[in-house]
Amino acid sequence: MNLSESPLINQKLAVDDHAQEQLHNLKHADIIIGIPSYNNADSIGRVIKAADLGLAKYFPNRKSVILISEGGDHEKTRNAVNGLKDKNYFEDSFIAKPEFETEVLVTQYRGTSGKGTAIKAIFEAAKILDVKAGCMLDADLRSISPEWIELLIAPIIYKEFGFVAPYYSRHKYDGTITNMIAFPLTLALYGRRVRQPIGGDFGFSLELIESLLSKDVWETDIARFGIDIWMTTVAICENFRICQSFLGAKIHDAKDPGNDLSPMFKQVVGTIFSLINIYMDSWVRVKGSKPTAIFGFESEVAPKPIDIDVSNLIDKFSDSVPKYMPVWRKVLAPENCKKLEEVAKADPALFEMPVDLWIKSLFDFSIAYNLRTDGMDPAEIIEALVPIYYAMTASFVRRTQNLDSYQAEELITQQCSYFEKLKPYLVERWQNEKKGDM
Amino acid sequence: MKKKILVVDDEKNIRLLLVEELTDEGYDVVTAKDGAVAFEMIQAEKPDLVTLDIKMPGEDGLSILRKIRETEYDLPVIICSAYSVYKSDFSAVAANHYVTKSSDFEELKNKIREILSYES
Repeated sequence: MNLSESPLINQKLAVDDHAQEQLHNLKHADIIIGIPSYNNADSIGRVIKAADLGLAKYFPNRKSVILISEGGDHEKTRNAVNGLKDKNYFEDSFIAKPEFETEVLVTQYRGTSGKGTAIKAIFEAAKILDVKAGCMLDADLRSISPEWIELLIAPIIYKEFGFVAPYYSRHKYDGTITNMIAFPLTLALYGRRVRQPIGGDFGFSLELIESLLSKDVWETDIARFGIDIWMTTVAICENFRICQSFLGAKIHDAKDPGNDLSPMFKQVVGTIFSLINIYMDSWVRVKGSKPTAIFGFESEVAPKPIDIDVSNLIDKFSDSVPKYMPVWRKVLAPENCKKLEEVAKADPALFEMPVDLWIKSLFDFSIAYNLRTDGMDPAEIIEALVPIYYAMTASFVRRTQNLDSYQAEELITQQCSYFEKLKPYLVERWQNEKKGDM
Repeated sequence: MKKKILVVDDEKNIRLLLVEELTDEGYDVVTAKDGAVAFEMIQAEKPDLVTLDIKMPGEDGLSILRKIRETEYDLPVIICSAYSVYKSDFSAVAANHYVTKSSDFEELKNKIREILSYES
């Protein structure tokens, strides 16, 4: 597509001027692979190689572009890309080079700093190039293989899906925000079982990105870590055809939830809560949940073990009780607040957060965030949920410490069914609050 | 007509096991213990698919894969190795699929079924 004809021309684009010019010169591509990066120059080479080989192996006749959208040290990333220019890896792996050599471009995205804006720049490039399909890959992936490209792109090109969510084998303690919040809430609220709704590696159609780009969210928390759950929710609620692709193990720079995940937690959960309000008409009517087709073969892989410091999580919860109790009293239903106080007083050796209390707390917080702030800032409300999440995570680790990943997965499935069973609690409280507002 | 599979593995027990498993699945199975025999079998038997071990004395599986790709580009090849390192360094990417050996060969059988269903 000529840039002058692009409907994006009147907007402030996230993709920088130099990259726009390069895209303009390319005119068109069938496939785009986007790699949002923040100072991932050390690991990005492997992801680019896998993407390039995957395109050559599975889509040799398609014109393709790989675009790295960098939010950090642009020059370092460009140097890493230039280091791969000779494409020696084709000879080493005896894959024939494709009919059209894949272009590898780097853009230093503009706008709100965060992963969402990096992705926006890639979406804009996809629209300028008028691609048929694309996929996004995390820049810190160590387990990627060229097969991922087929698994994420083929369902879009050949089966006309709009969104391909990843399906990974993960260690039982990897992805605690996914397991405790994003997966069960997506399932219970919107009725679709998408196992990794905040997975960073996904496939998309042009129609989906046109819908996403048209929404006025790019200056909010969605433009940070909220982007993944937002895309999944939009795809579900706006009836795009969704599937999952089994990608094997996800090995990346995983983090202990007690140490690193607080900003991510706030942005992801803030987005989930905002979406609950936006798509209220959809989820109120949904009963039960549907499975989502999985492409690829679910092989036995052993994800790398992750250590979680349970005592640290329990201490963080207990230490925060005096600070957050005033907020909890405003946010939680009185019976839930009382139960939480009892949990906090328990002997750390016997510490346990009941699952139903966790679910009702999440529901209470979503209501307070959207409908009953009592003069509190929404960010303050989310912050007060973090210690309860630590408590739930500690409890989950305790319950699953002697279980293997498959058994832990069964427990997560069981917890999801509690979310579904307790959904009427949310519906009733939400509607009562709404009535109270009128 | 039954599809024919060539199993290339230096370990006799693995060859026997795969012959039994894949015959039960309804395939004709022929075997080769090294690269030289494998190429003779490819010419003589015209298999529909090859399963290929990597670590073998003499010519290794990657070298055999390279030669297959130079001559029989479309012949489906599944790497069946006890090691996953060749998958993670992309050196076996020219194969159609890479399976880490397991006791029940379930993934291998599923992949064979999937690939041969595309071929037919």
